[in-house]
Amino acid sequence: MNKLRNVFSVIVFTFGLVATSIAQAETIKIGVSFRMLSDVGYKHGELITDTVAKWNKEGTINGQKIDLTLYNDECKSEKGVANATKLAYQDKVHVIIGSSCSSVTLPMVPVSAKAKVPQIIPHSTSADITKQGSEYIFRVPVSSRFYKIVQGKFTAENQGTKIAYIYGPDAAGKDFALSLADYMRENYNVEPTYMVQSGEKETDFRSYLTKAKATNPEVLVISALLDETVRGLVQSYEVGIPKSVHRVTASIGSKIEIPMNAGSAAEGVTYAAAFDASDKRPEAKAFVKMIKDKYGVVPDHDFSQMMDLLDILEIALKKVKFTGDLAADRDKVRDAIAATTDFRGLASGPINFCKSGTPECRDGNRTPVMIEYTKGGKNFKTKVAGTVTFNASAGL
Amino acid sequence: MEKFKSIIRDYPFIAFIIAFVILAFVPSVVFTDVYQSHLATLIFVNIVVAAGLNIVKGYCGQVTVGHVGLFAVGSYTAGTLFLYLGLGFWVTLPIAIIVTAFFGVAMGIPSFRLEGPYLALATLGGGEAIRLFIENGNFFRSTFGISDIPTPSLMGFNFDSPDRYYFISMTVMIIAVYFSFSILRSGVGRAFMSIREDPICAAAAGINVKKYKILAFILSAMFAGAAGAVYAHMPPGYIHPNNYTVIEMVTFLAMVVLGGLGHIWGGIIGAIVITIVYDLTRPLYKYQLLIFGLTIVLTILFMPKGLGGFIDRYFLEKRFKKKTGTEKT
Repeated sequence: MNKLRNVFSVIVFTFGLVATSIAQAETIKIGVSFRMLSDVGYKHGELITDTVAKWNKEGTINGQKIDLTLYNDECKSEKGVANATKLAYQDKVHVIIGSSCSSVTLPMVPVSAKAKVPQIIPHSTSADITKQGSEYIFRVPVSSRFYKIVQGKFTAENQGTKIAYIYGPDAAGKDFALSLADYMRENYNVEPTYMVQSGEKETDFRSYLTKAKATNPEVLVISALLDETVRGLVQSYEVGIPKSVHRVTASIGSKIEIPMNAGSAAEGVTYAAAFDASDKRPEAKAFVKMIKDKYGVVPDHDFSQMMDLLDILEIALKKVKFTGDLAADRDKVRDAIAATTDFRGLASGPINFCKSGTPECRDGNRTPVMIEYTKGGKNFKTKVAGTVTFNASAGL
Repeated sequence: MEKFKSIIRDYPFIAFIIAFVILAFVPSVVFTDVYQSHLATLIFVNIVVAAGLNIVKGYCGQVTVGHVGLFAVGSYTAGTLFLYLGLGFWVTLPIAIIVTAFFGVAMGIPSFRLEGPYLALATLGGGEAIRLFIENGNFFRSTFGISDIPTPSLMGFNFDSPDRYYFISMTVMIIAVYFSFSILRSGVGRAFMSIREDPICAAAAGINVKKYKILAFILSAMFAGAAGAVYAHMPPGYIHPNNYTVIEMVTFLAMVVLGGLGHIWGGIIGAIVITIVYDLTRPLYKYQLLIFGLTIVLTILFMPKGLGGFIDRYFLEKRFKKKTGTEKT
């Protein structure tokens, strides 16, 4: 009995330790949950922290203090759900930013919808996220439903329809390859010449590439995580796939490590993304310089999307008159974000949201840009191969 | 008080009924927000897994590092039964337990010939193989995960939010812990302990070592299966192979080690402490693994028998002082 009593004491005591804080009317609370594991992940976190610190210092949001809470979800759905629940019910935030991985954002959506907290997504591209119909979800990046069309159309019209696919088991890589194959099947009536899923953390793709080579493809799609994509590109030359075969990657192609690590194997690689670091617009140049100086990296489109998200949020929060009634304030923040129209930031096109919780209203950026590496290595160069703005219901 | 203690000793299930009643009031009396219910549900799920792991590792002495695979089997049995047959929690839970028990047999067979690190490697391979099979299998929705797994409902009442689902996870936990205690206090539990201490002596004493080893794995797997099904149906009803990696396995092991290997309360105490330590350090994400690891290292250094052993020693000393009326020298 003593033991039993002690265990219950421990339960009660420890639950007490997790006691909650009380929402303060004068403070705007922003909660963040995303993958902060890698070096780049930490830098995304620093970008948010620094931006919010700047807002606080300059009194940007009508002089109101912003309270920022950052949680790492490690790209794991269980942790993303726990973070969203904690941010919504315990930290009582006004808005949630997150997550990076689609497999984490997907289960977070019902949590934020039930708690009625606006959630704004910086990186996740899976079309299923906004198809859930939540009125509280907003997506800054380009949805995979647009990527597959632009990539499919560009590939078919400029590169060829005989395509070999090698994709990794990660959700983003797999989704891109399968969606593209489906698109080619539906619109051009062509089957893949070769299609294979590699194993987790597999780094030797030469057997797959040799088989792909035997099918004489016009296009080789390598859609996997960063290191795997780099190795796939390099090994495609090692097995003798000629340069005339067009190499295509998923939007991960926008990451600086691709041209840096793949070197000359990155030349000619095309990918669809939402931002190009070689963008000549003054605001893009200034952004690239700022990220380089402050965080020591050339920004990929994940950085630019995070920056656009913060700018959109800044505009929205400025419009809101906070009353201290959390539920009402959350709805006001939602409505203010939903009122974003023709936002022109770093992204490839304007970002528009609207009132309804449909994908048409909540997939903000409908303008993917096709980018090609013209030179690999440390001093890599890119060129924009094409840009298209879709109508809101494309790909649904 | 002595009479009450005697009743509890004779009818231990009464203690569990009391525990059930107390825990049923915790959300309304102690909790201040829904997140605490979510955290409590995670604790209950972890308790069920850790209690099962304690049977095979703590009591039977078999080193298993593949338990997370069995947890995944439970989750994915529930998930796929919903996905393809539309079945709900009340059907998927028992099926998940049965299916995972079969996987427990497969996981336990290597223990006939392997011991220590060799058995650990074999079970680690088994656990990882299960995860990779799920991850690469389109049947299991691969890396897209299974979503919209429904929460259970009973007589029109839907357990569709963390504060409601708390009652489901709490009930399963109470039943699991009751069975765990009943098993470990029975002849079967004593057979497990004798195998742990010396399998040759146990065999010489007439204990069928192979039978009890496999039984330990089956029972332990059933706990993991139940926990997996509860986890799969937990709101918002989403499972993904990323949640069943070696890191999760190490966390489960840490719960049992921290709580006290072979201590009847070991897995339970460990599950509570580890889940809460993890949660409290959530904002310190940069140092989380360091704090987490340090907690375990310090516990092992200063409390080699885990928290359970520490608590036991405290009560033993207290009882000793009470009986002898002397201070410890």
